[in-house]
Amino acid sequence: MQTVLVVDDEFGVVEVLVAALEDEGYRVVVAANGRHGLEQIDEHHPDIVLVDYMMPLMSGVAMVEQMRAEPRTGNLPVIFMSAVSESVLRESTTAYSAFLRKPFRASTLVDLVKRTLSNGL
Amino acid sequence: MTAGDELALEHLPTGVSGLDVILRGGLLRGGVYMLQGTPGAGKTILANQLCFHHVTTGGRAVYVTLLAESHSRMLQHLHSMAFFREEVIPKSLYYVSAFRMLEEEGLSGVVDLLRREVKGQKATLLVLDGLVAAEETAKSDREFKKFIHEIQSHAAANGCTVLLLTSGLKQIVNAEHTMVDGLIELEDQLFSQRTERALRVRKFRGSDFLAGRHPFRISDRGIVLWPRFEAEYARASRKEDPRKACLTSGVPEFDTMLGGGFSQASSTVIFGASGTGKTTFGMEFICASSSAEPGLYLSFFESAERLIEKAGGIGLPLQKLIEDKAVEVIWEPQGERIIDEIAHQVLDAVQARNVRRLVVDGLNAFTASALYPERISRFFSCLSNELRARGVTSIYTGESRDLVGGTLRMPVDGISALVDNLVVLRYVEHDAMLSRMISVLKVRDNDFDPRLREVRISRTGVTIGEQIAGLHGMLSGSTSPSLPVG
Repeated sequence: MQTVLVVDDEFGVVEVLVAALEDEGYRVVVAANGRHGLEQIDEHHPDIVLVDYMMPLMSGVAMVEQMRAEPRTGNLPVIFMSAVSESVLRESTTAYSAFLRKPFRASTLVDLVKRTLSNGL
Repeated sequence: MTAGDELALEHLPTGVSGLDVILRGGLLRGGVYMLQGTPGAGKTILANQLCFHHVTTGGRAVYVTLLAESHSRMLQHLHSMAFFREEVIPKSLYYVSAFRMLEEEGLSGVVDLLRREVKGQKATLLVLDGLVAAEETAKSDREFKKFIHEIQSHAAANGCTVLLLTSGLKQIVNAEHTMVDGLIELEDQLFSQRTERALRVRKFRGSDFLAGRHPFRISDRGIVLWPRFEAEYARASRKEDPRKACLTSGVPEFDTMLGGGFSQASSTVIFGASGTGKTTFGMEFICASSSAEPGLYLSFFESAERLIEKAGGIGLPLQKLIEDKAVEVIWEPQGERIIDEIAHQVLDAVQARNVRRLVVDGLNAFTASALYPERISRFFSCLSNELRARGVTSIYTGESRDLVGGTLRMPVDGISALVDNLVVLRYVEHDAMLSRMISVLKVRDNDFDPRLREVRISRTGVTIGEQIAGLHGMLSGSTSPSLPVG
């Protein structure tokens, strides 16, 4: 069973994504900020990370920067989810596999997770 | 910086022009303010509008929500607003949710999160949306007060202004209201079939403010607010120029009746029944405008196109004057406009073109925009004073309620004392013919011709005949020959 880490401070988003991904047979772990996300990576070794841009304590960009600096997580697929456009995100980072602008349908995200996992980073 | 500078209270403009007028310049930097209103009252839009203004003028802001709702949905709704600037997110405007922190670690966790975010983002403005959730989480009033107090302390230490958004469903004045530096309420009141949104500042420490209700709308510009006119212009914004010339009414015989025309910066009500010629007199006055004496025509009943056609029918060059920018026509069809909104629109138009001649065609429609009729006389007093101070000579046309009859009822109660000049147009019946008649009832500080005279409107404009002699009872609308005396 593949593991998906969802890192998002928005409770409603996390709830919907967890349900949709579990329905598709994934194991899902969650975190509410970047710092907690890094801890969850150490503990659960996810196959893919879905991460929000703006979060308390540590942003998604800061979290992914730290992931990329570690050989063990440097190539882990990352999907960014954000209410701001991808062009805004790209001013801060390009180290991600895919981008999805919020709000989105859960099915769109699930399809993107499947495609990204089959393509790799 | 001196010790005195540190003590000085600095205003933080909100960017909402009417609100900055009400708050005499904006919120006070480093203060904690509560924004209260029922769901849908406009709190989130106003808070976001403040954030975007703050960051586009060099500040940094953090918007934290304690509610379960998604920021992305909120930002999607804000996207169409004129103030929205995507490029400032997240570099200088940062959105985070503290909902889970509240669920998992309670109020102390939220305080810690706020402290870190303010520091980490170097925020100078913090919005905390959903204070009611914190209130519900608090185990006691004391714990909740401590929560507010801690936010205050951190804000003060970091020079950060804080806006706390709450639905304010509690009926009593809550303890936290006494702790914050200011309390601003948003409300949406129903008046018969119509609603009007209003903002009210209930408390504002350290600065004067305009008290009472101030109407606002939510539009694609965000919150658009008009300070209650008689509160903002309780005193005219400038001193009146004592030098007085006379402006022509556009009708030479009428000028003679008025003792030389309208005194500069005076206000006049021309009232009469439908069809007696009020609009025609208004058009004669406005068509005497020029580039040196620009005119503004505020019409409640007829569009610019209809007025141009009507003016052309009596030989008045309204279209040419509009093309030459000597006259501007604002058509304000009767809908659900707010009286303060219209008054501010008039002042803006006066300011923009240095207007000297103003016609408000439809005093009754103007006053019908007021949801509180008891305001009207104070409202017009302030509007007249402000226009007078700006050197604008104004004519208001008002429809009297009776086509004919012996009673003269003003279109607006008490207005005769507020304006300088009063003119009445009436129908009179004589020998089975209806004629129009004009009489001047009042001209302030000037001699005038009080005789009743006949008005004729033809393709060449308005002419006023001599006194109608040998008849009496004309004010009743029905004449009979005067009986010889003696």
